[in-house]
Amino acid sequence: MFDYTFQWGQAMARLPRMLDGAVVTMQIAVLSMALGIALAILLTVLRLSGSRPLMAVATTWVEIARNTPALFQIYMAHFGVASFGLYLSPFASILVGITFNNAGYLTENFRGALKAIPDTQSRAGRSLGMSQIQAFRYIVMPQMLRISFLPMTNQMVWAILMTSLGVTVGMNSDLYGVTQDLNALTFRTFELFAIAAVIFYVITKTITLGGRLIASRLFRY
Amino acid sequence: MKKLTLLAALAGLVGIAGTAQADKLDDIMASGTLRCAVVLDFPPMGMRDENNEPIGFDVDYCRDLAAALGVEAEIVETPFPERIPALMSGRVDVGVASTSDTLERAKTVGFSIPYFAFEMAVTANTGTGISSYEGMKGFTVGAVAGTYEAIALEAQVNEWGEGTFRPYQTQADVFLALSQGQLDATVSTSTVAQANVQSGNFENIQVVGFAPFDTDYVALFARRDEYGLLNYLDLFVNQQIRTGRYEELYEKWVGGEVPRLTIPNAHR
Repeated sequence: MFDYTFQWGQAMARLPRMLDGAVVTMQIAVLSMALGIALAILLTVLRLSGSRPLMAVATTWVEIARNTPALFQIYMAHFGVASFGLYLSPFASILVGITFNNAGYLTENFRGALKAIPDTQSRAGRSLGMSQIQAFRYIVMPQMLRISFLPMTNQMVWAILMTSLGVTVGMNSDLYGVTQDLNALTFRTFELFAIAAVIFYVITKTITLGGRLIASRLFRY
Repeated sequence: MKKLTLLAALAGLVGIAGTAQADKLDDIMASGTLRCAVVLDFPPMGMRDENNEPIGFDVDYCRDLAAALGVEAEIVETPFPERIPALMSGRVDVGVASTSDTLERAKTVGFSIPYFAFEMAVTANTGTGISSYEGMKGFTVGAVAGTYEAIALEAQVNEWGEGTFRPYQTQADVFLALSQGQLDATVSTSTVAQANVQSGNFENIQVVGFAPFDTDYVALFARRDEYGLLNYLDLFVNQQIRTGRYEELYEKWVGGEVPRLTIPNAHR
């Protein structure tokens, strides 16, 4: 039986702090996506390189990123690497953890996108005198990024939601961390987390719709 | 026939009276089980023994309360941040979870009179040279999210204007971070500090002194509108002290001088 008197005023008074937290959450997500895309391109190149050791590096990365919990990856970025004397702040830990995860998933997205681009295109580029790298850079990669654009917005949504795992490594300035802090202070659990959920929803929905809008404008054939 | 109608009317009346006036205290007695929210990551108040059975001061306290009510005790493991959802969703009847009775929280839940009091100790990484509470200024310090000491320590760091505060989810994570050097110092209850330093699980840490926070009085909690239950809890805490059971449990789980639970010059 659930009967509880909601006191929205008590929670809404803390809204400014939660919105500050939302900004930090966005920062983490945007940075981790930018870094993740860069790393995923690098990993894709490694996979295409034909060199066994380099392909093994890329495959190992992708396998770990996709087949272990994000929580584990973030925990390792904080407590794991600290056992080797490398201390990452909570912000850096969550950023590294999510970037690692993003890069793994995006590499797989790129692989799927590459399958949609006929081999003949890069061969045509080669026949025009381009080097292997130039053909990838100017012909294949732009198409790859275009095809995987919507999956990328999905990953961005994921990144936003994954920031909530930061509390396990001492993060208290992101949206979820701030909410938990306020909860400890006031015990207004239901109001605070309901507000946090709405903020999360608005952010992620904006990203999804924004992504679709951009895609429809940019990628008209 | 008339007799039967009368009987039915009587049964109906009893039924109505039964449901209309039953409060939480009645429900507990009727169900035969008292469900307590206990934090089992907080030695020596709540923890698990080698057989994974819950033990500790709070566990015994819950069992005493159940015995007083004449019902079975059920220990529901509840991490610090989940105490209120557990209570409001009806998963537990009462919290025996070392909960600080702040005025801010009392706007949401109902507290009994204090049943325990903590002193706060500073534990530092030996490499930092921190030797007192004041010595933590400018360093990276942390505590368990959602606890009294975390709230007080964060406020202190903000007041100092230098250094960093980091909350972790569990006491184990705090001491892991401390022994790794990710945290320079922590404030915890002195009982927790001693237990962890003596456990030998963490290297490079030592208790360096007391934190001058106000005594952290903790209370039992229940739903704010359950006066019958809250009234019972007050009397129960009082009786535990009166009968010497509080001292007995303190000796069993903590040891040393028993903290006073009364405040000089105050009514309650």
